[in-house]
Amino acid sequence: MGGTPFGKALGGAGRERARRGQGQLEAQVLAALHQAPGPATAAWVQERLGGDLAYTTVMTILSRLHAKGAVTRERSGRAYAWTPAADEAGLAALRMRRVLDGEPDRDAVLTSFVSALSAHDEEVLRSLLDRAGDGGRAGPGPGRGGAGPSDEARGG
Amino acid sequence: MGVFVFLPLVLPLTALPIARLAEQHLHPRVTTRLLTLLAVVLGVCSTLCLGLLMVVGTAQLPGNPLPDGWSDPEVRAAVPYAEVAGLAAIFALAGALTGCATALRRNHRIRARAHRALDVLPAGADPAVLPDDHPYAYAVPGTPARPGRPARPGRIAVSRGMLRSLDADERRALFAHERAHLRCRHHRYLLAVRLAGCVNPLLLPLRSAVAFSAERWADEEAARVVGDRRLTARAVGRAALIARPVPAPLPAQFASPEAGPVPRRVAALLGPVPSARTWPPALTPAGLAALVAAAGTAASALSSLNAAVALFLVLKAATPW
Repeated sequence: MGGTPFGKALGGAGRERARRGQGQLEAQVLAALHQAPGPATAAWVQERLGGDLAYTTVMTILSRLHAKGAVTRERSGRAYAWTPAADEAGLAALRMRRVLDGEPDRDAVLTSFVSALSAHDEEVLRSLLDRAGDGGRAGPGPGRGGAGPSDEARGG
Repeated sequence: MGVFVFLPLVLPLTALPIARLAEQHLHPRVTTRLLTLLAVVLGVCSTLCLGLLMVVGTAQLPGNPLPDGWSDPEVRAAVPYAEVAGLAAIFALAGALTGCATALRRNHRIRARAHRALDVLPAGADPAVLPDDHPYAYAVPGTPARPGRPARPGRIAVSRGMLRSLDADERRALFAHERAHLRCRHHRYLLAVRLAGCVNPLLLPLRSAVAFSAERWADEEAARVVGDRRLTARAVGRAALIARPVPAPLPAQFASPEAGPVPRRVAALLGPVPSARTWPPALTPAGLAALVAAAGTAASALSSLNAAVALFLVLKAATPW
């Protein structure tokens, strides 16, 4: 793992580029840590990132993230095991998206509130909602103003 | 057993008319339960008959571990086209069981992954609101206790992107819908019809019919809880319009000008409350379709029973000890 010289990722084309790339590298390392099933070693992170970064570079970035409080570490054997310290909700969202993206055939397990619409469905749906909106405004709710539900939906 | 062993393989066809008509004529709760029951009985009978055929087919293979007497002419005479049917049944049953195993494994995996994703949130956080701009809302069914792991209750996961686009009342309808999925254990019906579709492809239409009626069931429950059908309809419709940016030009929509599931759900919610009767009136198309399905299912059960008993007796007579 020490085959790549330390300077390769950060040096080479000058310190200017290195400084610009730092935030990006930190984000990459953090994303890799988020994908880990548990605490991960620096070697794991390096492998995860496709081997573009030297081991020492990964260690440097992890130490920097640790100084910022973005990751926590604990000793496991001779190395450190690293865990992202991002807020739980963000982590849960990230993991949930990975489940949703990775499991296209999930209908029988995770029941979604709505399924995808075709163009034709969208037309039908808009006219249905328009009609329902008209009925609603004729009834108790005149305060909704001129915008029908479908217009609001289109806007946001 | 003669032809009776083949009947349960094609009798699922008798359930197709009611699968088509139930949506408009029965309460979605009744539809879900009825169609799932039909699918399970028809699927079990069909698998049983495949198993019987497979025994006859396997007995003819050289080097099989079954008693030699089972390949006697008397056994083969009990099944029409025993050679072809027996061999085909081996492959069909293997395919069916592989499909079931895959479906069960996937079911387990997705549920476990979704729970692991939500485990980082405190257990009381329900609904789990996830900071994600992509609009989605899911009901994650609970998992039973295993050795070394406590049971996990069902949870609702909803993204901030979804909540942002709904007003407070519409959110109540959304949560009521997802809670109804969990409370009425819709995932069990969905898994049952999925497995039925794996063992006999003729049961696949029941799978989509049950998937739709379970959504309708949850819609009706939500409308009951929030006390406003129109509000529920608006919540469903707006959520679908927001979630739309996934451009999905479904090829199935080319041929059929028929509306997809979401417009049908919204239209049903804007219509009157479905009647809660458990059986459609006899002399309507839906009533006749229900009768045909019931007769077909009964015939399937009797045929497979007949075939099983007949084969048992034939094999018993052919076994030397």
